[in-house]
Parts: sequence; C-alpha cells; structure tokens
Amino acid sequence: MRNRIVLTIVLLFGLAAGSAAKDTAPVFKTAEAKHFSGVEGVELTPAFYDYFYAELRSELTKSKLVSEVIGEGEAVENADADRSVVITGTVIEYKKGSVVKSALIGFGAGMRSLKVDADVMRRSDQQNLCTIHVHVKVEPNWNEKIMARFAAQQIAKDMKKEFGPKK
Amino acid sequence: MSVTTNLARILVLSLNLYALCARAASDEPRPKPENTVGVHLPEPVAPQKFDHAPKFWITDVIDRSGNPQPMQVLKSRGGMFLDRQPTVIVREALQESLKSGDLLASDASSADLEIRVYLFHFGLAEGSGLDFFGKVEFSAVVKNPKTGETAEVKATGTSIAKGAARKKNMQKNVQEDLEDSLKDATRNFLRGQQLKEAVMLLFKNTDATSVSNAKP
Repeated sequence: MRNRIVLTIVLLFGLAAGSAAKDTAPVFKTAEAKHFSGVEGVELTPAFYDYFYAELRSELTKSKLVSEVIGEGEAVENADADRSVVITGTVIEYKKGSVVKSALIGFGAGMRSLKVDADVMRRSDQQNLCTIHVHVKVEPNWNEKIMARFAAQQIAKDMKKEFGPKK
Repeated sequence: MSVTTNLARILVLSLNLYALCARAASDEPRPKPENTVGVHLPEPVAPQKFDHAPKFWITDVIDRSGNPQPMQVLKSRGGMFLDRQPTVIVREALQESLKSGDLLASDASSADLEIRVYLFHFGLAEGSGLDFFGKVEFSAVVKNPKTGETAEVKATGTSIAKGAARKKNMQKNVQEDLEDSLKDATRNFLRGQQLKEAVMLLFKNTDATSVSNAKP
C-alpha cells in the first residue's frame, strides 16, 4: 500500500515536471511591446495606454514565450534580431457602456467594450508574423484598466496559441 | 451684546477649528519603520556597448514630479514611504550601473559626457485596483562639456505586482514592484537606442571640432 502511494507521488511529480519543461522553451529571444495608439474618436486617457503597455509586458513575461521582454526603444543585438519581435497596435473602438441599459435590459446590453488590433512583427525585416484582434467586454461600472488587463491577457494567449508548441 | 459674549463665541469657534485640524492631521499617514521601504537595484544593469566607450558623470538629478510628498508612495492603508528621496535612489541606480560597465568617470572634470536627470515620476501609478502598478519615468539631458551640445534621452520603467490583503505582503509587493520598475527604467535608459544615438551625435561633433582645430 505504502509503495503504491510513493509510486503515485513520484508519477505525479514526473508529470508536473514534464508539463513545466514543455512550457519553458521560449520561441523568441526578445519581444518589444510598443505603446498602443488610439484611432480618432477613442476617448481613453494616456494613463490607460501606459497601464496597458505595462500589463502587456507583464503578460508576455508570464507566457514564457520570450526569453526577455525589453522596454520600448531598447537596442537589440543584430544576431538576435531575426528571433525578436515587436508588438504594435491600435485601439480601434472604445464604448463607455451604460449602467442603466445594463441594469434594465441585461443580456450583455450596455456593457463597456474595447476593441484592439495588435501586430506582431519580426524585428529584422519588419515582416508581419500575425495580427491579433481582441474584443473585451466588462460591466459598465468596472474600471477601464481592468479591460486593459483582460486585453493584454488575451493578446499573450493568442500569441501563445499562434507561436507556442502545437498540441 | 457684550464684548465678553463675543469673545467667548470666538474662543469656542477657534477651539472647534483647532480640534478639526488636529483630527485631520492625525488621519495623515506618517513614516514609521514598519511602513517604510528601502528601494535599491537588486543588481546593476549592464549598459550597452559603445564604439567610443565614453565616460559619463551624473551632474544632477532634479525632481520634476510636482509631488509635494515624493517619499510617500501609498496614502491608503496606513501609507507607505520610501527611506530616501527618489532623486537619490535614481542617482544611485544609474551610478552603480554605469560603474559596472566601466562607463563612470572618476570626477566631473574627467567626464566625456555629463548627464542631468529630470525625474517625472517615481512610485506607484493608478492601476486597476487589483494590483500595484509601479512606474519610473525620467528624461536625461546628455551634454558634451567640450562643445556644449546636448541631446535628450527619455526613459520609462513599468512593473505590475500582485495586490495584497495583508499589510506585510503589501509592503513586500510594493518594494518588489518599485525595484522592478527602477531596474526597468535604468535598463531602458542605458540600453536604449536614444542614448546610443545621443552618444554618436555628441562624439561626431567632438571629432569634427577636433579636426577643424587641427587644420592650420
């Protein structure tokens, strides 16, 4: 009985170590996230873009898709440029939402929404590797920075799906 | 109405005002050892390689944040304070990092380039409320003392740390967050393309001046 328990624990540890090892292989050497911009008519504060930039960098670090997440405008060695990416993007739509609509109608009406397009480009030749479209909806009384967090998480998730190890 | 009654009324009113002020002052958080954090670079940031390898000297770090209490990083939950002025912390971080790359001059007279830093933000910025958003932002004016020419270099560092319910964890998370954002800003400055271009520009002009002086 005791041997079985020990064997089960060893197997579980083995599985956990295996899955961790699978996650830790970075695809890119460096990734640079730029401050996103907003199209005309998008009423978001500069503080929102700052926070979004910080969240995106934080999520990219967590995703372990890149060895190093560098700051905006940092120099990269020429040897690493073909294995490095630059992420740029635009907020194409932002709706403040309506608390009244949300309370009276419900079913997603009056939600605060944010649409972001992000481009992942190779640093060496500026080739577009993929374009990510993100649409985030939250309750109208929530802080707009929570949307930034969800959008950054979604971008990192989509990048992992696109470039990460295929199952 | 007698003068004595008026005086008594004024006295009562002033005492009430004094009590209100004293109460408001007691609500203001004050720095204590348990709510003060020391922010240092965990390790110096290695600067980028330059063709000329100039020697830098930091002449001044000036606070331009407009914050009346620059050492207070958090006002709510009993407050949180830095142990030193942000300008001192930034100067130390830059000096340590330049020294690690052998780019720090021994004194102002032997420096090839002088740096004057204008600090715009140091501390926590408004985040989502679920986490701590650390931000360090400064602009540096790099000057060639021989030619008097200058170039501006901007740097920003950000960091997101987990929120915390317990005060002990909050202090730890805020400290880590500030250290990470300081490291990020230092790296952004020392490894930035802007500094590379500024050094190239200021040295190119020095070369041109020395060539023109050498001509008969």
